[in-house]
Amino acid sequence: MTDEYIIDINHASKVFNNQKKEVTALSDVSLRIRKGEFISLLGPSGCGKTTLLRMIADLIKPSSGSVTVDGQTPREARLARKYGMVFQSPVLYEWRTIIRNVELPLEIIKLGREERRECAMKMLELVGLRDFADHYPSQLSGGMQQRVGIARALALNPQILLMDEPFSALDEFTREKLHEDLLSIWRRTNKTIVFVTHNISESVYLSDRVCVLSPHPGRLSAVVDVDLPRPRTAEMRSSPELASLVERVRGSFEGI
Amino acid sequence: MKSRQKKPKLSERPMFETVTSVLYPLLFGAVIFVLWETELLHRMIGTTESILPTPSHIADIIANNPSKLFGNLMMTMLPTLIGLALGSLLGYGVAVLAAMFGRWGAGGLTIVSCFNAIPIVALAPVFNNLIKTVTSDITIRGLTAKVLVIIVMCMSSMSINAYRGLTQLQPFGEDLMATYGADRKTVFLMLRLPNSLPYIFTALKVSLPLSVISSLVSEYFIDTVEGSQSRPGLGRMIRSNILNAQYATAWAYITFACALGVALYIVLMLISKRVLKNRGK
Repeated sequence: MTDEYIIDINHASKVFNNQKKEVTALSDVSLRIRKGEFISLLGPSGCGKTTLLRMIADLIKPSSGSVTVDGQTPREARLARKYGMVFQSPVLYEWRTIIRNVELPLEIIKLGREERRECAMKMLELVGLRDFADHYPSQLSGGMQQRVGIARALALNPQILLMDEPFSALDEFTREKLHEDLLSIWRRTNKTIVFVTHNISESVYLSDRVCVLSPHPGRLSAVVDVDLPRPRTAEMRSSPELASLVERVRGSFEGI
Repeated sequence: MKSRQKKPKLSERPMFETVTSVLYPLLFGAVIFVLWETELLHRMIGTTESILPTPSHIADIIANNPSKLFGNLMMTMLPTLIGLALGSLLGYGVAVLAAMFGRWGAGGLTIVSCFNAIPIVALAPVFNNLIKTVTSDITIRGLTAKVLVIIVMCMSSMSINAYRGLTQLQPFGEDLMATYGADRKTVFLMLRLPNSLPYIFTALKVSLPLSVISSLVSEYFIDTVEGSQSRPGLGRMIRSNILNAQYATAWAYITFACALGVALYIVLMLISKRVLKNRGK
């Protein structure tokens, strides 16, 4: 990890106008994310963590303040395909086979058929789903579908991976398996990962830093450095170090 | 001797359901058929063979007049398929326009859906008159009137269903496209169009039987020449034979009309099953 920053959020706020009522989803957030960092945005529902992620992704615009992604505006970064995004649901197109779902972004940038196939196959290899290339999404379990979503997000080889509660719909066992997969992918690819979650131990176990967001109005209340050694192992899940970090993070929420 | 596995109860076997769902209706049909053929049915509902001819009598008529029956079948089927295709295409076009123009589009669709409430079949003679100046060929005029009726009938069901298919996308489906910087055309071709496919079949399952009925009924109202060489269509032949008290002949045409509707529907179901086979829900 370097001290080079890839995402710079500068006094960003977001106000939604819902039926003449103004709702402040996010109030004056400043945060700088390092290149190659695994960072979590943690908080209960209504804290604006997804709003913040969608601002980075240029899926919504800040009401005030600014966001810079790799030296560009979020819109420029989005059009330059600088990030890949994984959503709460796998968002697979049910009429496409698994491999063709992973090929989707490659088709959009009009890559040739052979290259597409080769690249998508590599991505499926990375998430361990090579044998399922010609299956349809409905034939896969929820965990496998989400892994396809990750493979697709990595297909254009972006520097940044944005993940919006990607494992919240999965059972505990599948989720822990996917944690290991994700950490191993992160180690091998050196991506910057911004990971939104409402699960405290998940955020601590995965991240270098945990950004604690509090609700009403959504604001950044603390940034906790996670100094657990890398690589993280399954035994660390029950270690006292992790437990004390979880307590520290829990203690930094305000007004819940 | 090998020990035999205990057989599962009949009602628990996988084949049981398919057997009962096919066998029972078949049995019921067979019973009705026997009652009908032996004229027991006539006694039960108090009618005579001349009004309700027996199946063998109807079969006789079909066997003796195949060219007339098939000729009229074609004259009903042709406008049905042409009208269904054109009306559905137009309806899909309206849906695409509506999907492109947001709130205005949705409003426009409400107007199109009002067509559903108009008894379009009654417009058949109007359409027939409208094209009187275009051609004096009575056959072409009849066919065109039928096609026009069916186009209007099919349009609204396709446009409403297709609009749903083009706009009701899965959560984050559009966001995903946005993250890849996809333009509107790409979103349409890669997301909206394939998403609308099942909805197209939903519309066709409604409008195909509707087209057959519209074709049959609009034949009642169109101009035609009477005579043994005339082929106005199955619906018109049912009507004129009943007017002439030729009930057995009328029933032969009714049989063909039923067969046409059922056959086209089965073909549609087979195509739909094949096209949508990998979509899980």
